[in-house]
Amino acid sequence: MNRRTFFRRAAALPAVLSQGAEQGLPKYRVVSRYEPWPKPGMPGPLPGQVVAVHSEKAIDTQSEKVDVPTVREMMARGMRALTGDTDLRDAWARLFVPADVVGIKVNCSGAPGIMSTPEVVAEIVRNLNAVGVAPDRIWIYERFKSQMDSVHYDRYVPAGVHIEAAEGTRGAILKYDPNTYVEVNFFGEDDTRSNMIRVVSERFSKIINVPNMKDHGASGVTGCLKNIAYGDFSNVARSHMNTKTNTYSFIGTLATVEPLRSRTVLQIMDGLRGVWQGGPFSPNRKYRFYPKQMMFGTDPVAIDRLLLDIIDGKRKAEGAISVWDRSPEHLMKKPTAMPPDDPNLNRYVREPGHIEYAAGLGLGVYDLGKIRVKRIEL
Amino acid sequence: MIWFLLAALLPGLYWEQGVETAPALKKAGLQRVYVPAEHEQAWRAAGFTAVAFDPQRHAKAEAPGVQYRLSVASATSVPWIDANGWRFQRNVGKTWSYSVPARKAALAMAEPYAYGVDAVVRLDPPDLDLFARMLAFLRRIDRPRMPALANIGIVDDGSDVTGEVLNLLARRNLLFKVLMAPDPRYDLNVRIGSKEYPEEEAADPYTFAGKLRYQLTDEKRLVRIYGSDVVLVRLTGDGERARLHLINYANRRVNGLRVRMLGEYRAGELAAFGIDNAALLDYAARDGATEFTVPDIDTYAVVDLVKR
Repeated sequence: MNRRTFFRRAAALPAVLSQGAEQGLPKYRVVSRYEPWPKPGMPGPLPGQVVAVHSEKAIDTQSEKVDVPTVREMMARGMRALTGDTDLRDAWARLFVPADVVGIKVNCSGAPGIMSTPEVVAEIVRNLNAVGVAPDRIWIYERFKSQMDSVHYDRYVPAGVHIEAAEGTRGAILKYDPNTYVEVNFFGEDDTRSNMIRVVSERFSKIINVPNMKDHGASGVTGCLKNIAYGDFSNVARSHMNTKTNTYSFIGTLATVEPLRSRTVLQIMDGLRGVWQGGPFSPNRKYRFYPKQMMFGTDPVAIDRLLLDIIDGKRKAEGAISVWDRSPEHLMKKPTAMPPDDPNLNRYVREPGHIEYAAGLGLGVYDLGKIRVKRIEL
Repeated sequence: MIWFLLAALLPGLYWEQGVETAPALKKAGLQRVYVPAEHEQAWRAAGFTAVAFDPQRHAKAEAPGVQYRLSVASATSVPWIDANGWRFQRNVGKTWSYSVPARKAALAMAEPYAYGVDAVVRLDPPDLDLFARMLAFLRRIDRPRMPALANIGIVDDGSDVTGEVLNLLARRNLLFKVLMAPDPRYDLNVRIGSKEYPEEEAADPYTFAGKLRYQLTDEKRLVRIYGSDVVLVRLTGDGERARLHLINYANRRVNGLRVRMLGEYRAGELAAFGIDNAALLDYAARDGATEFTVPDIDTYAVVDLVKR
C-alpha cells in the first residue's frame, strides 16, 4: 500500500466498522469522577428565560470599534433584567462569591475577525471584581493558544487575570484531564477519547460561557452549546469526516459531562458581531454582520434556539440556503478543509438539530412557545 | 517466564568517509564502526573496532518518518508513517541496512533497537553527534530482552497482501505476532485466504485492519494510546514485567501521550531520549488496566512496568 492509497482508504473507512456504532447514534461512554450539583448550572435556575439587549451604538460597523460605555450599559441592563435585581452587584452576587475561581470560556476560533469581544470580556471581569472575585481567581480560557494570542485579552483586563490556552501546540494533551473524558468511536479512528480541559475540572468553581453568534458548517450554528462543548474537550474534530458530522449528538453529550454542566452558571452571548456563512471562521468581512446585541441567561438551549433563527434569518435575507438544508445537491462534491466560499454550498450535512437534542438531555428549553424573551433596546 | 540473557545488539554506524575523519568519531565517543571493505584496515589501524560492511548485501530498511497531508486541516487526516517494524517481524534474523536523510538517525536507531534486530545506519554526517547521543541512551536503557506480546496472531504466507496487512496493523498499534500456524494464546488468529479472512478482503488492508480491531475489541487490546497518531508502540514482557517501547515518527516532540495497558502494573518507570528526569504522570492501575501519561516524547521512550 502506498501513501496515496492509504490516504484514500483512511478517508473512506466505512462507519460500519466503528466499534459500537450501530444504526443511529454513536455509542458514548462518559467517564467522570464528579457528581452533578443538585441544581446544575445548565439549565440553571432560569430555564427558558433569555434577556436580549440591543443597541445600535454597541459597535461601529465600519471601524468595528466597540463602544465600551454602551457595552457596560448593555451588560448591566441584561444582568439586572435576568435576575430581577435593581442593584447590579446583587445580580452578579447571585451567581458568584469572592471564594469562586471563575473560568470565562471565550471563543476565538474566528479571531481576529470575530471572537468573544475583549471589551465584553473585560466588562465581565470588572463585574466579577466588583463582587469580590479577585483578578487572580479569574481565568479567560480557550483551547488553542495561537487563536487566543491574536486577541490580546491581557490588554483589556487587570493584571493577575489568567489567560489560559489548553493547547500550546495543536494536539498537545497535557492540559487535559486524563480522568474526565467521553469515549466514542465515530469513524474507526484510533484515538477515541475527548478529554475535558484540566483547569475546568480541577480548578474552576464556576464558568461563564461567552460565545458569539455564528453560522457553523457542521453544526448549523455555533453558540452556547457548541462553545462550551467542543471548546472544553480535546480531539473533537474527529467527529466530522467527509460530509458526515456527529455534532448532532456529540455537542449535547459533551455539555452534560460533569463538572462542566454543573459549573457553567451563566451564558452571555456576544452578538456585537456575527458570521452568517463560513463559520466558525471569519477570515474577511464578506460574511460578517452586526446584530449589535447580547443575550443573557442560564439556559444554553434557549439562547441557541433564538440564535438559530437569527442566523437563518440573516442567511435568508442574503439569499443563502437555510442551515436546515440537507439536500445532496447543496453538498460540496469535493469537500475542502475550509468552509466553502459559497453560501449555497455545504461542507457537511449540517446538524442544527443538535440544539433540540441537547434539550432532550435536560440542558434547557427548545420549544419557542416556552421560551420567554425579555427584549431591551438601548 | 524466562528472561533472555542476551541484550540486543545496538545499532551500528556505517561510515563511508576516510580515516581522516577519525577525530570526529572519537569526539562523538564512537569506537565501533561499519565501513566499506577497502577502509577496514585503515580504521583498525586508527584504533577503531572496524567491520567491513556492504549495505547492498543486507536487507534494506525504509527511511522512517511521517508524511502529512498538508492540504487537509482535520483531525481525521491520519498521517502516513513509514515504519519498518512489520518487516522486522516477518524477516527474523536479518541484518538491516538504513540509509537516512538529515535528522533521521535517531529514529533509524530506535526502531531496530525496539524490535531487537541488528541494524547498521548510514546517516547524514552532521548527525554524528545525534547518533552518539542515541547510542548512549540505548546503552543506558539496555536490558535483557523479553518476548514480544501481542493480541493477534497472523499466519504469514509471505505474500505482499499479508505484508500490507502487517504494515497497517502496525500502523494502527494493533499488536501482532507473525506465526507459522495458529496459536491459541492469541485473542485472534488470522490466516489470510481462509473463509473468515478472504484474500479479497485483505487486499484492502486499511479496512481489513479495522475489521480485526472490531473483532478483537478495544477492551482486549494490550496497549492503547491517546493523544498522538504518530507514535507506534511495541510491547515485550514475561508475565511479571513489561517494557513498552514508544517510537515517535514525527519531526517534532509529542507533548503528552496517554497510554492504557491491559493488566495492573504496580509501578512504571520512564526513560525518554533527549529528556532529563523524565517521569510518568497521572499513573493509575485499577479495574484490570494501567494508565499513565508520558509528558514528552522526542524520538523514543521506554516504559518499564512491574506487575502487582
